[in-house]
Amino acid sequence: MELPTRKAMKLSVIRHWFVSAVAVVALAGPMAGCSRNEATFNRNEAYVKNQERLTKETFSAERKADLDEVLSGLFGTPDRPIVPALGDIDVASVMDATKLHFAAGPVGRDERGRARGLYREHCAHCHGVTGDGGGPTALFLNPYPRDYRRGTFKFKSTPRQSKPTHEDLKRILIEGIPDTAMPSFRALPDNEIDALIHYVRYLSIRGESERSLVQYALFELEPADEEANIEEERLFDLTSGNRSDRAAELREYVGAIVQKWLGAEAEATAVAPPSWLANGAELSHEREVELLKHGRDLFYGKVAACVKCHGDSAIGDGQTTDYDDWAKELEPTVPGALDEYLALGRFVFPPRNVRPRNLRMGHYRGGRKPVDIYWRIFNGIDGTPMPALSEVLKQEGEEKIGVTHDDIWALVYYVRSLPYESISQPVAVEAAYQRERQ
Amino acid sequence: MSDKLSKNELSPWPHRFAVSLVCATFPLIWVGGLVTTYDAGMAVPDWPSTYGYNLFLYPWQTWLFGPWDLFIEHGHRLLGALVGLITIGFVWSVWRHDSRRWMRGASLAVLGLVLLQGGLGGARVLMDQRQLAMIHGCVGPAFFGFGVALAVMTSNLWRAGITKPQTTPEMAGKLKRLSLTTLILIYVQLVLGAQVRHIPVTASPGTFRILVFFHLLMAIIVTVHIAQVYRSILRIYGSAPALRLPGYALGGLICIQISLGVQTWVVKYGWPAFLTESDFAAGHTINASSLSQSLTVTAHVAVGSLILAFAVMLYTRAARLFRTETTALGSGALMIGLAT
Repeated sequence: MELPTRKAMKLSVIRHWFVSAVAVVALAGPMAGCSRNEATFNRNEAYVKNQERLTKETFSAERKADLDEVLSGLFGTPDRPIVPALGDIDVASVMDATKLHFAAGPVGRDERGRARGLYREHCAHCHGVTGDGGGPTALFLNPYPRDYRRGTFKFKSTPRQSKPTHEDLKRILIEGIPDTAMPSFRALPDNEIDALIHYVRYLSIRGESERSLVQYALFELEPADEEANIEEERLFDLTSGNRSDRAAELREYVGAIVQKWLGAEAEATAVAPPSWLANGAELSHEREVELLKHGRDLFYGKVAACVKCHGDSAIGDGQTTDYDDWAKELEPTVPGALDEYLALGRFVFPPRNVRPRNLRMGHYRGGRKPVDIYWRIFNGIDGTPMPALSEVLKQEGEEKIGVTHDDIWALVYYVRSLPYESISQPVAVEAAYQRERQ
Repeated sequence: MSDKLSKNELSPWPHRFAVSLVCATFPLIWVGGLVTTYDAGMAVPDWPSTYGYNLFLYPWQTWLFGPWDLFIEHGHRLLGALVGLITIGFVWSVWRHDSRRWMRGASLAVLGLVLLQGGLGGARVLMDQRQLAMIHGCVGPAFFGFGVALAVMTSNLWRAGITKPQTTPEMAGKLKRLSLTTLILIYVQLVLGAQVRHIPVTASPGTFRILVFFHLLMAIIVTVHIAQVYRSILRIYGSAPALRLPGYALGGLICIQISLGVQTWVVKYGWPAFLTESDFAAGHTINASSLSQSLTVTAHVAVGSLILAFAVMLYTRAARLFRTETTALGSGALMIGLAT
């Protein structure tokens, strides 16, 4: 019988060891984590670092432990969420305890057959148990899953800095976000969607409260003074005589955040139809061409200045090196700072540039209906460089630099026409625009 | 230990039971896959009872017309019970009709495996441990593969034998080694896939990234091995009809599986970022819990098990066809060893 060559033997040995190594890793893997206990919320280390760098103060380990304890006392744990008691504030409208119970905890059904763990079933793999956008799949997704803890939501009917309405969150859950990993949950029944909305608000309010308490500790509490032999003021000291005062103060911080959510419904931007459609009027072809021309003027003009980010051809190739607010918190443009943040560990990801939308595609992440695009232009997109034209809104006939309600509608018309406009052969008025722009 | 069979031992029943076992296990894997896809593992919080009822006495109206997750979880349990009963039938038939001692041992081993698998499923529910679900998901394909091996070992091909393919001893030895390596690699790939699928929500993004990387790497390695197997079988095409079916099936299924893997990613997480300027990617919205999503993801799981099954068939048949004194006696024992 022919003996194998030396090369064949070597290859055989390498293959044997490779297979063995991978088999051991793969088969041992399932055993890892069997001892995992109850899920916990992650601390927002990146924000603590951000505030430490800003204030040049140190957020001590004791304060971090206090912070965890206070948050746990106010909000409970991922398996047993608590709705903070905030006196007269109608917290239940924002986060209802029954709905939170429905959405929180491990996936399954309780003894009475009621579903539990909706958030972990549908959301946590991307958004993380904490709602920090740090779920297991996060690194593969572009854009990264949303970190709720800022309380900032992009696609909504309310102004920048305002909270989304219930309907805004519902719209995103039902419609999903095209071109991202955010799915449409159209298949879920209404009560489950509703419970998820309450739970997302709960995580958001918890996250915002955490940020608020970090600021409170750094700005309001006395730091340690070693020379005077004074210990730092604790965020919440159970042995202190004034703990009920402190608890009331902390609840006020949380209350202020909940109030903002309660006010969201009233802040929704009501959108009236453009004046040319008033009283059921119909739009003639000539008028439509005129409006598109006007929209185009605004797009390339100095007030709306859409061209600055979306680019000369509106393919999203203008300003492409900017960041969204989540990434900016990691100070990506400050030399050396980013390394400090990334060193914090596994839930802080390398920031990515925010890409303006390619408007020639006809696909819009926040929805394609005219009213969706109106909201994006009027309110901007919170947390991103997309500005709100509501900042420069003027009344019809008013003599100042700005845009009117009808101007915004003209822009909506123009944006919606872009997928059908040839870049190489734009509308006949192109030459005139080129002259004007020069 | 004897490998020879008397006339009395040529009963078709062990083979019939073994084939029934395989046929019942494949849908069980599908339904088990659906349980994970719909996260329905805890849809029934007790075990072995279902909401206090005996498994077989649970009201069928509630099962069929109740919540979807209850339907698939209870269905999975019923199908599992059926597989358990068929396994008992198999053990009975082997002890009644087959005097091969190692086959009797194998029949007890497969019974032990089905009991272990049922116990794992129960423990997953009682302890609410997703890691146990992952192990349960890994033992499932092993049981399926074991069933296929038993079906081959109780078949006419194994017992009566067929004409030995005309090939050199080196070629035969290479094909046997290659098919065994491929079989092990496929199983490792299934385990990696199970880890990707059952990743706990508390796991870090880095862990998931490593698992996906190894799953993709292993997909390439498995594909290369299957291509080699395919080429080897083509070389002895005319003289090895028994190897053609598993060889071709592996070739075809690996293509389907790669396609299903890509589709699984797309239906779960969307198109990769570099395709974002394409119209189809930019306009693509994922539909959670949609039929297409569930079927694609579950099909990826089930086809993985089917590939393992054909790899087992290929190896056991190859071991029998190209048997030497040691492999003929030891291949059955090896399969028991692999499975347990």
